[in-house]
Amino acid sequence: MNKQSIQKSAASGLVFGIIVIFFALIGFTVVFSGLIQKALGQSLGVGQIPSMSSFLIFLGLLGIWNGWRASRQDKHETLLVSKVLGRSAIAGLTAGVLVMVYALIVGALDNRGINLRTYLSQLSSESVRFFLFNQSIVVGGLIHVLYSTVLAVVGGFLALASERSRERVKTTRESIQKWSQDRWLGKLQGNPYVSYILMGVVLLLLVLLPRTWGAYWNYVMGTVGIYVLLGLGLNIIVGLSGQLVLGYVAFFAIGAYTFALTTSPEPHNLVWNFWVALGVAVLAAALSGILIGLPIMRLRGDYLAIVTLGFGEIIRILLRSDILKDFTMGPRGVRNIAGPTLFGRSFTTDVDFMYLIILAVLLSIFLARRWQESSIGRAWLAISQDETVAQATGVDTKKYKLLALSLGAAFAGLGGALFASRNQFTGPEDHALMVSINVLVLVIVGGMGSIPGVVLGAFALKGLPEILRELESYRLLVFGALLVVMMIIRPEGLWPARRPKLEVTVVKETEQVPLPAVVGGEQ
Amino acid sequence: MEATRKKKLLTLPQNSIRIIRIIAALLLLALIIVRAMDVAAKSQFGADTWLRLSVSGLIIGGMYALIAIGYTLVYGILFMINFAHGEVMMIGTFGGYFVFEAFNAIQVSGADGSQLSFLNAYPVLAIFLAFLAGMTISALSGLFLEKIAYRPLRGAPRLVPLISAIGASIFLQNAGQLLFGPQRRQYINPVVLDRGIGWNLEIAGSTVVLTYTGIFSLILSAILMVGLYLLVQRTKLGRAMRAVAQDKKTAALMGINVDQIISRTFVISGALAGAAGVMWGIHNGLFNYFVGFLPGIKAFTAAVLGGIGNIPGAMLGGMFLGIVESLGPAVLGIDFQLKDVLAFTILILVLIFRPSGILGEALTEEKV
Repeated sequence: MNKQSIQKSAASGLVFGIIVIFFALIGFTVVFSGLIQKALGQSLGVGQIPSMSSFLIFLGLLGIWNGWRASRQDKHETLLVSKVLGRSAIAGLTAGVLVMVYALIVGALDNRGINLRTYLSQLSSESVRFFLFNQSIVVGGLIHVLYSTVLAVVGGFLALASERSRERVKTTRESIQKWSQDRWLGKLQGNPYVSYILMGVVLLLLVLLPRTWGAYWNYVMGTVGIYVLLGLGLNIIVGLSGQLVLGYVAFFAIGAYTFALTTSPEPHNLVWNFWVALGVAVLAAALSGILIGLPIMRLRGDYLAIVTLGFGEIIRILLRSDILKDFTMGPRGVRNIAGPTLFGRSFTTDVDFMYLIILAVLLSIFLARRWQESSIGRAWLAISQDETVAQATGVDTKKYKLLALSLGAAFAGLGGALFASRNQFTGPEDHALMVSINVLVLVIVGGMGSIPGVVLGAFALKGLPEILRELESYRLLVFGALLVVMMIIRPEGLWPARRPKLEVTVVKETEQVPLPAVVGGEQ
Repeated sequence: MEATRKKKLLTLPQNSIRIIRIIAALLLLALIIVRAMDVAAKSQFGADTWLRLSVSGLIIGGMYALIAIGYTLVYGILFMINFAHGEVMMIGTFGGYFVFEAFNAIQVSGADGSQLSFLNAYPVLAIFLAFLAGMTISALSGLFLEKIAYRPLRGAPRLVPLISAIGASIFLQNAGQLLFGPQRRQYINPVVLDRGIGWNLEIAGSTVVLTYTGIFSLILSAILMVGLYLLVQRTKLGRAMRAVAQDKKTAALMGINVDQIISRTFVISGALAGAAGVMWGIHNGLFNYFVGFLPGIKAFTAAVLGGIGNIPGAMLGGMFLGIVESLGPAVLGIDFQLKDVLAFTILILVLIFRPSGILGEALTEEKV
């Protein structure tokens, strides 16, 4: 083992030690151990400290990962037992010692009766003792060192085993792929009926599911649907036309408030028909997109981002302030917003509303696809690639950028109106900056410019946190980290957009290219 | 044929957009002046109020200026908005807070034998150490921020580092919330720097208090700004920074370690933000994990206002924004709740009418 390798292992161990300490400080250790315990089928009351075994599993997973990462420093070298042993042991030891130091400090402070929660809000006395395995400080610290080292070595050997078996895994996977391709996948691909059947199944599910899965899931999936709408809109602005807008919530707010003020009896006593109000809300949002867009069309990139962020904040502050109190009810918000009606029959149950949202989402996906594949979509693509070149090739950049902004805003208006109508309430705090950021994150995580990506992103970012309720308070933290990690390892998103194919037949290589009569004749 | 002629009629000549913009700007200015005169005629506020408002504007402006310098330095070199800069300031605020808390808990015996907290026994040392801690931890977080979130993205399209910066900002904000809790905390100041006490000035029959914390912050931010200016203009590091800002490739050919200079730029801007954060805590008292967000955006406004990439511009822009924010609502006769709206409106107006800022931007490459 050379010096560099030791240094790398120690650095890897340090990073992992810091991660473990950070998890402990933000209370993630306790929460995640609880999740493991639930996953193992044991019950856990609210606010109860989970069992030791689940904590050991949690720490063990981190330790194994540590050893795995530390032992595989170079992709191209073949791992040897001695190398793996040394590296993983060093990494585990470093991480363990760091964690032990932390545990000693925190444990000693806790033993002296200092209430750590006044400074670090997650460090209750129970969680500190939990972190020390309910042992005394020294014993707990030593257990950390030992456990971390042992698990890191295990991780190292797992990495070794995975590398040894990589060839075999690869051949097995290839043979399975070949088999499935020959037997059925190859036949299914390119068969038009398959996609029809798939579409039919999805439609059937969309019709049946809202009836069967109850009010709670209708609520959750309704939120996901509204975020799909917002994502489709922002996808047009950011993903297709390449303008980073951080104040998307402004359009959402304009849609919601237009709808609210025209259907609620309270501030203005305008009780319009649901559909008329919906149309007006969408139009108002689209119009506001043009109005906001006109003066700032010249700005590009990060300036545009900050200015639109300013617009979003201005609208929220105005809605909350006292000047618009008579017009929009100020911080109290607008109540008693109308639900949808059809031919005199009101359908405001959760199932009906779910259908409405599904309808809106399907319509929006259809429209967005049509736009994306039309000449408008190509103009947007050109602008997002290089605005100057697009302009030089005859694309009216201003017109298409405004169009993108107003169409995207219209989607937000639709989403806002449906949101307000479903909750029968809208207030200034529904329209905080976080909405813009959520939508931006889902567009980016899904894949900029990709419609399936938007749907996937909305499910991942709005649906998953609903399932993992315990992790609610860590949602934004994970979002932030996810954005950074995404930009570093996969900036194109989970489901990247396919570029529209060039409609030019490519000359095959085998074709004979006629040679010029005289080679090199011209000088 | 018909269509093209129609189009020609509709499209305006090239210069007219500029003329329209100038006319719009003049109209806006006239409106503001008329409104201000209207409000002034009512004379709601006496001279004492005006003085108090301008002084508090200067104090806040000094902090904005310190943060804005960080934006400007980073933008000048990397052409990216360091969106997480406000969070770096937040970290500095917490750093100073914990130092004060720790010193408040340590008991020492004073000169006359009475028991005093360390904070009140050696206030100068305590304040110095608090600033040192806040600046160091902010500088370190700036350094690691650059290493983790921005360095792997060098050379990527420009939206990519910006999104990464937004992600880092969200991460730091929520880490702050989870670590320290959502509740507001109060800075414990040494008795000599107690909030609310200061020099009393008699003006127009009423007293205006120039608080010690405010004057202290103003002087300290002025010292730091002068120090930074000297650093950038006179030292070797400053010369290297200017060279990298002008042209990275040529700078590298001249033997400058570009990555190292970028790291140091982040360290310097982090330290200034940390100092601003501790000042914010000492002067305003209450803070929580969200403390960096609004000052961050406003300081960016200030940097744009002064001309991004331009260090004196950032200082001027910060001071200007602070004064506008505190005097503006009074001058225009609007509610003080709306001072944030005023700041954002100024940002939008500046970007529309004069995107290169008051002093002009000091960018050499074309900003895209």
